[in-house]
Amino acid sequence: MLDVSRVQKELAECNKDKAISGVSINLHGGDDLSHLEGTISGPVGTPYEGGTFRIDVRLPSGYPFEPPKMQFVTKVWHPNISSQNGAICLDILKDQWSPALTLKTALLSLQALLSAPEPDDPQDAVVAQQYLQNHPTFVATAQYWTEAFAKRTSVGIEEKVQKLVEMGFPEALVKSTLDSVNGDENMALEKLCSS
Amino acid sequence: MDDDDYYYSQSSDDEDAGDDDDDDCYDDLFDDPLCDEDSSTNSYEYTVIEEKSLLTLQMEALQKVIEFLSLSESSARILLIHNRWDVTKILELFDRKGKEQLFLEAGLVLDDNNYNNNNDSSFSALSQITCNVCFDDFSKDEFSVMSCGHYYCNNCWTEHFIVKINNGASRRISCITPKCNAICDEAIVRKLVAKKSPDVVCRFDRFLLESYVEDNNKVKWCPSTPHCGNAICVEDDPCCEVECSCGLTFCFNCLLEAHSPCSCKMWELWSQKCKDESENINWIMVNTKPCPKCRKNVVKNGGCNHVRCICGQCFCWLCGNATGTAHTYDTIDSHSCGRYDDAKSKHIERAKRDLYRYTHYHNRYESHAKSLKEEINLYETIEGLINDSKSEDTHFKSFRWALDGLNQLKRAREVLSYSYPFAFYMFGRELFIDDMRPEESAMKKNLFEDQQQQLECQVENLSMHLGKSFDLLSDKELFETSQHVTNLSSIVNRLCKEMYKCIENDLLLPFRKNHPIATYMSNALRKKR
Repeated sequence: MLDVSRVQKELAECNKDKAISGVSINLHGGDDLSHLEGTISGPVGTPYEGGTFRIDVRLPSGYPFEPPKMQFVTKVWHPNISSQNGAICLDILKDQWSPALTLKTALLSLQALLSAPEPDDPQDAVVAQQYLQNHPTFVATAQYWTEAFAKRTSVGIEEKVQKLVEMGFPEALVKSTLDSVNGDENMALEKLCSS
Repeated sequence: MDDDDYYYSQSSDDEDAGDDDDDDCYDDLFDDPLCDEDSSTNSYEYTVIEEKSLLTLQMEALQKVIEFLSLSESSARILLIHNRWDVTKILELFDRKGKEQLFLEAGLVLDDNNYNNNNDSSFSALSQITCNVCFDDFSKDEFSVMSCGHYYCNNCWTEHFIVKINNGASRRISCITPKCNAICDEAIVRKLVAKKSPDVVCRFDRFLLESYVEDNNKVKWCPSTPHCGNAICVEDDPCCEVECSCGLTFCFNCLLEAHSPCSCKMWELWSQKCKDESENINWIMVNTKPCPKCRKNVVKNGGCNHVRCICGQCFCWLCGNATGTAHTYDTIDSHSCGRYDDAKSKHIERAKRDLYRYTHYHNRYESHAKSLKEEINLYETIEGLINDSKSEDTHFKSFRWALDGLNQLKRAREVLSYSYPFAFYMFGRELFIDDMRPEESAMKKNLFEDQQQQLECQVENLSMHLGKSFDLLSDKELFETSQHVTNLSSIVNRLCKEMYKCIENDLLLPFRKNHPIATYMSNALRKKR
């Protein structure tokens, strides 16, 4: 059974200082405490600087005695994160997990992972190879991905909502659809048309 | 026959066997007269550990460590699991590295460490404490402190233990605190888990018990299926053949069937080779050609080189290309492919030779295995005769000699059978081609084949005598047969030993490290254990 009271305490605790820590965690939608969404801001001085990265967090019923399952929703170019599906290679999310760690510490570890990649233990072999053999290209690609996927301002979103509403879709539906496809205008349109 | 010498020299020994004390006499025969000072024959020891003795053995090891280092059972177990149940190694490390290092590496906390201090100051001073896992407040007696000084509420410890046990990590449940390597005290684990789910405690205890096998270099489970529940403990050389009390004989090193005088590597290659279809494919390559139209493999069954496939397509057997139908015995109309391709024919020649070679060895390997199967049926007959015999019967009528002879025959058949894959790799291109000059290899091959042949000859002899219908023989003939069997048994035993010795000392000497071979044991020796 999921320890509901602990998760609630964690949520409150984590969001108290989110401005300073750069990580926050919220319900993914609805009131399901086992499905959360975390965000981390890209660390300063890295190709991820300025980006906000969203992470899908699922808590198994054994949480906190079993590790939470985390996956990047925002596309990110990093040796230890799959460029395809956002899967993360991090020991504390696997065998090194301890019940005394929290969602906040896990997110902070992810933030640290962004600053200090471990290309010798890669999740994405292509990225890792580029990191080791052609570092300038790696930095450029990571920056480009941050720019393209992790820096969607709310103004941008408003414009897109506006555009789609003008096409005749209800505003609430537009917002949730855009949200589900990570703000991608074309995909949202496709989804709206097919539904 | 040059073996006659042995025959006569032995028969004097045998006259003594006429009196009733034949058991000892047999052991003597196997151990003594012919095997000279070959001490290696008896060099390895093993024990079968049955389910009920597992606990006793484990307690013995624990007791030694408990006494020597004056530890609790839990701590002793942690040390032993970490050091793979090697008591000698623990004592050696204790001498060399000291107690602190020894404990640290195993995840054990020294009693006089921070535990007490911690206990005094931060922990015991408080009345209400927040657990760092569930973030709830409890009174002090709801908490447990581990030897490392870290404390969490009992509920959280319990959950932690259960998750770890269910994940199969019972043998090394570490403290909750990140980066703390201390192993949790098994008494606390048992006490807390028992309150919530007693069946998990059973699993925990089971895992700890099995650790003696799982985390122990000297002990392995018997590979029998369905599993007999036994394990085997080998003291010295892991490369040996053992017989579990369930009746299965196996190689302790690779856990496959006993295969000496093949090395484990050779046996692995051989089984793979026999299993996969590669040799068949070779045969197809050498003996058939694909039809240029339907690609079916066509085998030429005589006639000229103009071949017609069942699909109706004609082609030239020499080059494989499609042709017309008009032909004579030496020409095909408007077709010429007389240019000789040296490389191609060499390749085919080689494949042909390899295939032939493999077939040669495989046939002999199989035929001995088949003979063995037949001969095993004799056990029933002979055991029947033994049961029918009366205790006052003379030696040759008691038929014990026949049983001993059959045991020896069985063992020798195994040796012979496995000696063929051995020879296949010893003198083939697969393993040692770069390590032996061709002359050296040829010389060794001659030496080995001589021995193999001698053994083969005596084995067939023995088999012939044992295959007689004993009930049709007169007393005199029966007596003579018993003498033949006894003599041949000891000759065969000696020849087996010599073959192993030759392999060990003359053939495999430079490669022994990678190809260790289990020492030869006669059936009598195997059974003794």
